Amino acid sequence: MAAGGGGSCDPLAPAGVPCAFSPHSQAYFALASTDGHLRVWETANNRLHQEYVPSAHLSGTCTCLAWAPARLQAKESPQRKKRKSEAVGMSNQTDLLALGTAVGSILLYSTVKGELHSKLISGGHDNRVNCIQWHQDSGCLYSCSDDKHIVEWNVQTCKVKCKWKGDNSSVSSLCISPDGKMLLSAGRTIKLWVLETKEVYRHFTGHATPVSSLMFTTIRPPNESQPFDGITGLYFLSGAVHDRLLNVWQVRSENKEKSAVMSFTVTDEPVYIDLTLSENKEEPVKLAVVCRDGQVHLFEHILNGYCKKPLTSNCTIQIATPGKGKKSTPKPIPILAAGFCSDKMSLLLVYGSWFQPTIERVALNSREPHMCLVRDISNCWAPKVETAITKVRTPVMNSEAKVLVPGIPGHHAAIKPAPPQTEQVESKRKSGGNEVSIEERLGAMDIDTHKKGKEDLQTNSFPVLLTQGLESNDFEMLNKVLQTRNVNLIKKTVLRMPLHTIIPLLQELTKRLQGHPNSAVLMVQWLKCVLTVHASYLSTLPDLVPQLGTLYQLMESRVKTFQKLSHLHGKLILLITQVTASEKTKGATSPGQKAKLVYEEESSEEESDDEIADKDSEDNWDEDEEESESEKDEDVEEEDEDAEGKDEENGEDRDTASEKELNGDSDLDPENESEEE
Amino acid sequence: MAGYKPVAIQTYPILGEKITQDTLYWNNYKTPVQIKEFGAVSKVDFSPQPPYNYAVTASSRIHIYGRYSQEPIKTFSRFKDTAYCATFRQDGRLLVAGSEDGGVQLFDISGRAPLRQFEGHTKAVHTVDFTADKYHVVSGADDYTVKLWDIPNSKEILTFKEHSDYVRCGCASKLNPDLFITGSYDHTVKMFDARTSESVLSVEHGQPVESVLLFPSGGLLVSAGGRYVKVWDMLKGGQLLVSLKNHHKTVTCLCLSSSGQRLLSGSLDRKVKVYSTTSYKVVHSFDYAASILSLALAHEDETIVVGMTNGILSVKHRKSEAKKESLPRRRRPAYRTFIKGKNYMKQRDDILINRPAKKHLELYDRDLKHFRISKALDRVLDTPEITVSIIKELNRRGVLANALAGRDEKEISHVLNFLIRNLSQPRFAPVLINAAEIIIDIYLPVIGQSPVVDKKFLLLQGLVEKEIDYQRELLETLGMMDMLFATMRRKEGTSVLEHTSDGFPENKKIES
Repeated sequence: MAAGGGGSCDPLAPAGVPCAFSPHSQAYFALASTDGHLRVWETANNRLHQEYVPSAHLSGTCTCLAWAPARLQAKESPQRKKRKSEAVGMSNQTDLLALGTAVGSILLYSTVKGELHSKLISGGHDNRVNCIQWHQDSGCLYSCSDDKHIVEWNVQTCKVKCKWKGDNSSVSSLCISPDGKMLLSAGRTIKLWVLETKEVYRHFTGHATPVSSLMFTTIRPPNESQPFDGITGLYFLSGAVHDRLLNVWQVRSENKEKSAVMSFTVTDEPVYIDLTLSENKEEPVKLAVVCRDGQVHLFEHILNGYCKKPLTSNCTIQIATPGKGKKSTPKPIPILAAGFCSDKMSLLLVYGSWFQPTIERVALNSREPHMCLVRDISNCWAPKVETAITKVRTPVMNSEAKVLVPGIPGHHAAIKPAPPQTEQVESKRKSGGNEVSIEERLGAMDIDTHKKGKEDLQTNSFPVLLTQGLESNDFEMLNKVLQTRNVNLIKKTVLRMPLHTIIPLLQELTKRLQGHPNSAVLMVQWLKCVLTVHASYLSTLPDLVPQLGTLYQLMESRVKTFQKLSHLHGKLILLITQVTASEKTKGATSPGQKAKLVYEEESSEEESDDEIADKDSEDNWDEDEEESESEKDEDVEEEDEDAEGKDEENGEDRDTASEKELNGDSDLDPENESEEE
Repeated sequence: MAGYKPVAIQTYPILGEKITQDTLYWNNYKTPVQIKEFGAVSKVDFSPQPPYNYAVTASSRIHIYGRYSQEPIKTFSRFKDTAYCATFRQDGRLLVAGSEDGGVQLFDISGRAPLRQFEGHTKAVHTVDFTADKYHVVSGADDYTVKLWDIPNSKEILTFKEHSDYVRCGCASKLNPDLFITGSYDHTVKMFDARTSESVLSVEHGQPVESVLLFPSGGLLVSAGGRYVKVWDMLKGGQLLVSLKNHHKTVTCLCLSSSGQRLLSGSLDRKVKVYSTTSYKVVHSFDYAASILSLALAHEDETIVVGMTNGILSVKHRKSEAKKESLPRRRRPAYRTFIKGKNYMKQRDDILINRPAKKHLELYDRDLKHFRISKALDRVLDTPEITVSIIKELNRRGVLANALAGRDEKEISHVLNFLIRNLSQPRFAPVLINAAEIIIDIYLPVIGQSPVVDKKFLLLQGLVEKEIDYQRELLETLGMMDMLFATMRRKEGTSVLEHTSDGFPENKKIES
């Protein structure tokens, strides 16, 4: 029951966090989370009882923990049965908690005092401690480590009583026999030691992977006919990393049988195991196995010799969130640990996150093969920080510390301390001086991005980009900067440009002024800015006229057409307004379109005018044609290739014919033309 | 009667980038092949011997690639830590490489395990090279030392401790087996002579030196560090010849083209620049996707290999030129048909009548000659220079209106498209504005009949409006510049005025 301490400290599994229920009434649940905090929860009302941060919690994280048995009184030698009867009265005395760390030290923490009781370091392990077991009676502590040794500690004096090599590889798990005279250790193989002489009594084959848990399941042999010597005939259980089978072994009198007698199968690697010891032959062993996939499997079995088939669980417990609405599917909540209550009929379940677990007592109803509990833990998920309990100190920042920001040398003054930026990276780099809380940042993100944050960011980088682009003549880089439309931004950038880049910038602008008006308009903006901002600098240049001469000429030549263009524009505007007007009239066929008064006159004159004009144009054309024909006649003689000449002639005749017609009609109608063709 | 005179096509200066021999040469590469390496590619080295394989150093491995293989044909991975600077020997059979743990390893190209291991450096060895006699190796390390090793009995011969910071680059002279140079983060480049126990020459680069290079003749030394590439004359005792600053980030690698006429530099700003070694001007520039750490050119510039910080190796092969010749050539008349009768000597009483030389006319000229003016105009609408010349010619003849008139929807929109494309170019603008006005005059009566043409007119109007806005801005700017120029002149002028004003009052006084 209390033996779950070592059960969860599997070395290869990062998900398995060392945790344990306090022995007997399970008043407390100790949990050493990966951030190095030790938290003790009250199981009855799901409250944080104590929190403790070891000084070296980051370098030496806790790898395993174990509660001391109820009372550490060496004089008393009570039977386990007897202690059980006294358990109610002694529950307050559950005090010491042993923590093994990754660097090899063992800490003893007193829950009564709320602070460190003592440290077991000298002569101990020099590598990760894998498992700790308290001896029920003698006040000794056994620990095993990656350094292949097993150490027996005297807790009173905090000294090593005995240290011996337990295996050729790291020793991963320990268990003490119910009578306290034997010790099981699991390294490459499982060994049973006689504690008095430290000699190996039995070997068992073990698992292929490191054994994560070892536990005795019976305290009396099932076969009571023979005299009981304390160990022979007892069963024990072992679970291993990455192994979905829990093996059960029997300590036999003869030394031959080394393989497991039976096995339990589970869905995933076991993370936490708890069981009720069977005290007589008829009582079945109850076993609760928490798997990595967050399920609990319950087994109930009377251990009685060899069984070939792996046993499946009698009951499986799962926890899930209620599906909110129709769309959201229920999500499973992982169960972290499970422990039998002392009445053996109900189970304590720990589920949720490691930082805020929920502890609940569930009555066992072994009829159903599958139990799914629906729990809403959304309100528990939020990480609560109770400042009264945590003793974490935040480092004090010196207010005089200066934060350096990348920029151009000589332009430091222009750069303001950056406001919180939208981009994570930017904010990391710049706002290091005074810590801004997440809340403030979030608040700032909503407001500042629209107002000024973005602009400041860009003007910081634009001069740099532009200088670099001018120096390396990088087309893309220049494009990126020069194609901004924001006049304010242009002004700021020009203001911050170092003086030696002004002339190259002007030359670059000269190159870009020649293009399409769309892009060239932007360049004029830049040019204007440069001229206004750096006028005084430019006027001091002795060779200003030759420097800007080409630019001036270019602009002048372009401007020459201004008058003509304006003229053309006027015409076009008239044209366009006509088009739009005609479209409007087309769209709105109002009934009042009929002229109210129709004034008719002889139209013969107009017609004749038209005819004359037509004739004129035709006449002109005829002349041309005649000319061409006469020329052609002469040409033909000169031409060598007759065939080609003929071809052209024919083609031309056709052309002239069609053109004549077209030119003749002043209002050309595309439809007519197509018909003719 | 005089023959037809073809239209003179006005030539305009070509705008934009000039196409030089260099741009043609360096653009003549296929699209790059990209190979992903395990880490940043710190060195690429071509074997000097055919088949010109190249060794790529990235992370803790050295891959050797063949010319066209995209898979390594060989891998050396016997490094405990990051490998550096895998370099081929002159005969291409041995390979030497430094390592982060301070070892220098020598490999046979055909073998796998190192032939020799030179232990002696206490920190990472970033540069190794073979000397010209092939039997020694020079190495420079982060422990500030430069060591010379003997290959046959794998012993250290000499140690130079003159640098005061990391030695990160170096190379051995190709001519003299005793000379080699190293560049260090202490801003200096030093030349060492194995016959003496100290440096014979030292130049101050001014920045941590990232790469050095000796010209094949050994007379010039190029060093790269910071944003500068500097060229030094060794024969004049380390005089600085040129300092080039064309990158805006640190220059990391240097390379010479196989002819020795061009110098290439790669930089963290993701560019490779090509300089002419006569004028030291940038003649070409390549862009890459990431910061460049290493660069190498194959024999005859057949391949450019660039290694980048993101572990990508970019390999560019030169385009093969064999394709052009494979085209079937049209058979032309023999030479003697052209010279037939040319050498005829005139007798005394003969009168020689030359056949008038046949003039070759362009198609549009032929059209113009025969007064097919609309056709001539339509024919050339794709090349604005010719079009503008023809419009000018038509205008001179006074038939531009005729040429533009009488078009259907498709043809007129074709012309309008041309106008929209080219109206804003200042060199064509005067002529085209005129043409546009004529078009408007002609087609004003029929406007609104075709939505396509109307749309084109709208576009044209938008363009003209923009151009006018632009020119107005330009006029303002011109005003500004006039002001600027005026202030300059006034400065000169005022000084003169002051002189006169000094003189004038006196005169006035005298007069009065």
